[in-house]
Amino acid sequence: MKLLEVEIEENVKIANEIFLLSFESEYLAENFKPGNFVNILIDKDSIYPLLRRPFSISFVEGKRVYIGYKVVGKGTNLLSQKSKGEAIDVLGPLGNSFLTDIFDGKVAVIGGGVGIFPLVGLCKELKNRGNKVDVFLGFRDLDSMFLVERFKDICDNTLIATDDGSSGYKGNVVELFKANFSKAEYKVVFCCGPKPMLKAIKNLNLPVKCYASLEEKMACGIGACLCCSIRGKDEKMYHICSDGPVFDIMEVEIE
Amino acid sequence: MNLEVEIAGVRLKNPVIAASGTFGFGREYSKLIDISEFGAICTKGITLKKRIGNPQPRLCEVYAGIINSVGLENPGVEAFVNDELPFLKSFDTKIIANINGFAKEEFVELTKILTSLVDMIEVNLSCPNVKEGGMVFGKDPEKVYEITNSVKNVASCPIIVKLTPNVTDITQLAVAAEKAGADAISLINTISAMAIDIETRKPLIQMVTGGLSGPAIKPIAVRMVYECFKKVRIPIIGMGGIMNYKDAIEFFIAGATAIQIGTVNFINPKAVYEIKEGIEDYLDRKGFNSIRELVGNINI
Repeated sequence: MKLLEVEIEENVKIANEIFLLSFESEYLAENFKPGNFVNILIDKDSIYPLLRRPFSISFVEGKRVYIGYKVVGKGTNLLSQKSKGEAIDVLGPLGNSFLTDIFDGKVAVIGGGVGIFPLVGLCKELKNRGNKVDVFLGFRDLDSMFLVERFKDICDNTLIATDDGSSGYKGNVVELFKANFSKAEYKVVFCCGPKPMLKAIKNLNLPVKCYASLEEKMACGIGACLCCSIRGKDEKMYHICSDGPVFDIMEVEIE
Repeated sequence: MNLEVEIAGVRLKNPVIAASGTFGFGREYSKLIDISEFGAICTKGITLKKRIGNPQPRLCEVYAGIINSVGLENPGVEAFVNDELPFLKSFDTKIIANINGFAKEEFVELTKILTSLVDMIEVNLSCPNVKEGGMVFGKDPEKVYEITNSVKNVASCPIIVKLTPNVTDITQLAVAAEKAGADAISLINTISAMAIDIETRKPLIQMVTGGLSGPAIKPIAVRMVYECFKKVRIPIIGMGGIMNYKDAIEFFIAGATAIQIGTVNFINPKAVYEIKEGIEDYLDRKGFNSIRELVGNINI
């Protein structure tokens, strides 16, 4: 990991409240592994927001690094107003990464909301390694859908669920995945999304390994402050920023 | 310019100390910066037994600050001595062990174990995020006296007592610590605080309240250092919302011999470099020959 000052190349709205930001960084592009995140200092002189904000790296193309985010508060709102050429202070790459071996059979990737972002890089890497990849994407409605075409280009099958049924399956993405799981015989499952979604996946008690990328409020992003701890089996504490963000879903408590 | 300062006979090559709870055991930050840049590193709070800490969420951000309730998650003193201390000792910086107990006997036991292994011990009588010990002891001058005295009786290294700001008059705690033989005091720990999500009407911290740190608390911390400086003769280590060299200078003028930086490490891991450079430039610019000349040198 390094502290880097980068210049924004592009910061565009790609769906309702959803933005895709990119910048060039040879170091990050070379060292990126799917699942990694960066800690961005949005404004150096600001005392509100004060802390850096963690964002997963969505994917990398050449030297260009793509970060996706949803405007939810002051920090992301300020970030959304930045334009090409503005400098941002980036700390990364941080955290562990998804396992991207060659699996003998199909792989399922499930994403919900902004949790979909890191799955682009994951799916690309899984495909590069010769895996067959089905991706299940859950959105609120048609207006909040993003990067679907990109997934269609990468994956063998792209299945969509929307809460209001405006596109694809009407209902949540876990139900859609569950309906497909038994017939597809997936060898491994990867997921990222809101806690209720991850909890529902965990409760499926899948007969195969399932890895989830988690998030929690964090201050340092490198394992020093212990704010983003998560309880594992046998009272073991893990830290989402440094032991994660990717965990075997059965090894951690998702509350 | 020589930035060296001395606390109870321990010479720090500069007055910038990494604050407890914000710097782990140095390992994480050593991948980003040269942690030997610090005059000293104050470790994550250590208890006798391993602690898993408080439930999530442990952190929220408020105007000009953050509220945390980590709850002293730490691997326990044995793991600290075996796994963390050898690593920390490989750097050219002093080591201050921050210790926490839930009874006087635990502070004494921890001091016995650590006194010959570290340069100084910071007795944390001020953690706001545990139900027993911590701030509960630290609010009562008699308890501060009793624990400090007991720890001093078994200590061969200097003892710093870390005070809580969550009292009407912090100077009573400072005086009690000095009377009991403390070699120095450090202040302030975080301020008890709370934030609520108005949509869900739920507190943003699982434990309901937590400790506020960051720029929001700096004026309070400066005032408390100033008040304590007038009441005690032992060195004061000042902290609370220091984000840059100017903030640090305020603490020296108010009466601090050294400073600790905490929250800023999360935001700017290179703050130690910038703060040291800024202090040096300031002393040069103002014609001071040492930090000692600046300590408590206030124009009123």
